[in-house]
Amino acid sequence: MALQDSVIAGYAETKIAQRSGSDPYELAGIILDSLLERTGFDKSEIDGMILSPSLTAARTTFWAQCVSEFLGLELSFADTTDLGGCSAAGSVVRAAAAIDAGLCSTVILINSDTPTMSYGFENYSFHEEWADPYGLKGPPGAFGLLSKRYEHQYGLDFAALGKLAVTQRNHALLNDNACEKLRRAITVEDYLSSRMIAEPIRLLDCVMPADGANGLLITRRDIARKRNLSRFVVPIGYGEVTNMSGGASVVDITTTGHRVAGAKAFASAQITPAQVCSFHPYDDFIIAIMLQLEMLGFCKPGHGCDYIREVNFGHDGDLPLNTGGGQISAGQAGFAGGGTNLIEAVRQLFREGGRRQVKKTDNALVTGIGWIPYGRNWCSSVALILAPEA
Amino acid sequence: MTASDILAIPRPHIKTYAFSHPYWEATREKRLMLQYCPQSRQYQFFPRPISIATGRRALEWKEVEGRGEIYSLSLTHRGLGVFEGHEPYLVILVRLDVGVDIISNLVHCAPKVARIGLRVKPWWLPLEDGRHLLLFQPDGEDH
Repeated sequence: MALQDSVIAGYAETKIAQRSGSDPYELAGIILDSLLERTGFDKSEIDGMILSPSLTAARTTFWAQCVSEFLGLELSFADTTDLGGCSAAGSVVRAAAAIDAGLCSTVILINSDTPTMSYGFENYSFHEEWADPYGLKGPPGAFGLLSKRYEHQYGLDFAALGKLAVTQRNHALLNDNACEKLRRAITVEDYLSSRMIAEPIRLLDCVMPADGANGLLITRRDIARKRNLSRFVVPIGYGEVTNMSGGASVVDITTTGHRVAGAKAFASAQITPAQVCSFHPYDDFIIAIMLQLEMLGFCKPGHGCDYIREVNFGHDGDLPLNTGGGQISAGQAGFAGGGTNLIEAVRQLFREGGRRQVKKTDNALVTGIGWIPYGRNWCSSVALILAPEA
Repeated sequence: MTASDILAIPRPHIKTYAFSHPYWEATREKRLMLQYCPQSRQYQFFPRPISIATGRRALEWKEVEGRGEIYSLSLTHRGLGVFEGHEPYLVILVRLDVGVDIISNLVHCAPKVARIGLRVKPWWLPLEDGRHLLLFQPDGEDH
């Protein structure tokens, strides 16, 4: 299968920080240097590059070209995966597809963003005409509407959601790359009493913006073999859907694209949710983790809170969850944030998790969530299953 | 929170897409016009350049009553733009009987009465340029 003919040879990540004093080019440079150091590849061997977008650089429509010039890369394939929080995971399979098509052989994936230094993003969409006049407060407002509807249909146990927040925070305490501001323990009570943003979304449901970068080096399997790399990571399953039910005027807001994306990913990886060794879901809001547990088939729709109460999500537990803290407890490095949980999954499969290393590394499941359409949950959903090879 | 807080907020000038024009013109007379796809018999909102059901440009504009029920709601404590300082205020997602969802605000309703399933109908907030902004109020005895 084409997807599995490409391998992840190495990963890199900067520390996540607020007002880092840096910019996306400098952080991208750190990622390139780090990947070359780790893998032993020469810069001239990199002939492909895929980026996530950058909130800082959102004013330029020449992002990939600019980065190639700043980093001195000559490329036969360059692109930006324009899927918001799905960009990083989506770039992995786009790299594999480009390699499979013979467009390039070794691709650097870079996700680099510094929104707390400079923010260049503007919505050119429905917001100004149909949402802003009503004071809908961006993602927290949309997740407030989503959560309230979920609560109406199924009920919500906020202490169960708090358990997820506490678990991720405990993981951030073990992650030196997590934003220092967030590296202090919290309790379920702290979660429940954190101030309301858009009911029932609380402060500790939300991500905190920060700066940071991460990246992967993806190459052809035979090239990796010749390098005698002791271990690499292979994408074995993938599913993606953008604008699910886009032709319908009304939908059930609690049904997300991960139902479709997850089924595809599990089918191609030939595993079931019960066989997932560690789970690295995109986490812009705590409830998004619960909805993904339901849609990916870990439990039935409406049973997310029951499932959360029963399962130990610690790095040493039944289903290790976002073992680096997730974006919610490590900080959301703008559009590079989609790579945070992906890099952590790859790190775990390389068995380099240190104090938070998970026991079972047969596979890892990573997801993405991208953009919020008008009155719905989210626009893009991806599910990526990775497995190590030694 | 009181309803008057929402009504007192000066709404910013609303920029529109060309294909939304019939909607906004109808609001001058407090009429609610929706795009309708005759082939799929589906209304759609917000306005688009094509039918989202068929991808074709064969769309009609039809006037509707605008009755429906609250599909979801969220009391917002951290306001956006001109809403800052007027918190908390209620954002609602209305499901119209004709089968479209609309983001709006609820007025003329005590916050405790606002709930999912509440029947609502349009209430038009005048804008400076003669157009109106579509808000919703409880419908009939249901409040």
